[in-house]
Amino acid sequence: NPIVLDLAYNFIEFPSLENRM
Amino acid sequence: AIEDLFTSLSKHIQRSDFEQAAKVADQVLSIAPGDEDAIRCKVVALIKDDRIEDALSMIQSSQKVPFDFGFFKAYCLYRQNKLDEALESLKRQEGNSATMLLESQILYRLGKMDACMDIYQKLQKSKIDSIEINSVAGLVASGRASE
Ligand SMILES: [K+]
Repeated sequence: NPIVLDLAYNFIEFPSLENRM
Repeated sequence: AIEDLFTSLSKHIQRSDFEQAAKVADQVLSIAPGDEDAIRCKVVALIKDDRIEDALSMIQSSQKVPFDFGFFKAYCLYRQNKLDEALESLKRQEGNSATMLLESQILYRLGKMDACMDIYQKLQKSKIDSIEINSVAGLVASGRASE
């Protein structure tokens, strides 16, 4: 079967640290 | 101070230096155990550093954090090819683009092409980059390439 891209990886995101610095 | 550590952590993230990011998150946690941002940073850094087993352990030991790690857990299980467990973990998540996309990737690996394609139908309106590549893969795999 054709290759499927791991697009879900792009939704593994760091939290915003804006208010912590 | 904890603010300086988060500044440093943020810089490592911007440089995609996930190994260092995980280390600094640990430093935060040694001062402030249970800090939700630090835990989330560590889990994401571990995943992006390809330390999937470590990420799962971290999620496992963070049950008391209010943040719902269900999507991250499902993603780690998917990476370990524990596909049924991954689906199980996703079931408890609200449906959004991320969970639907991951579910479609799991269903594809399970060979459940009809269910996989149903999700791509629903995601068609979403503006996810390169999603058409996976959609076409699903069509080809299910013998519906003429569509
Ligand atoms: K939790």
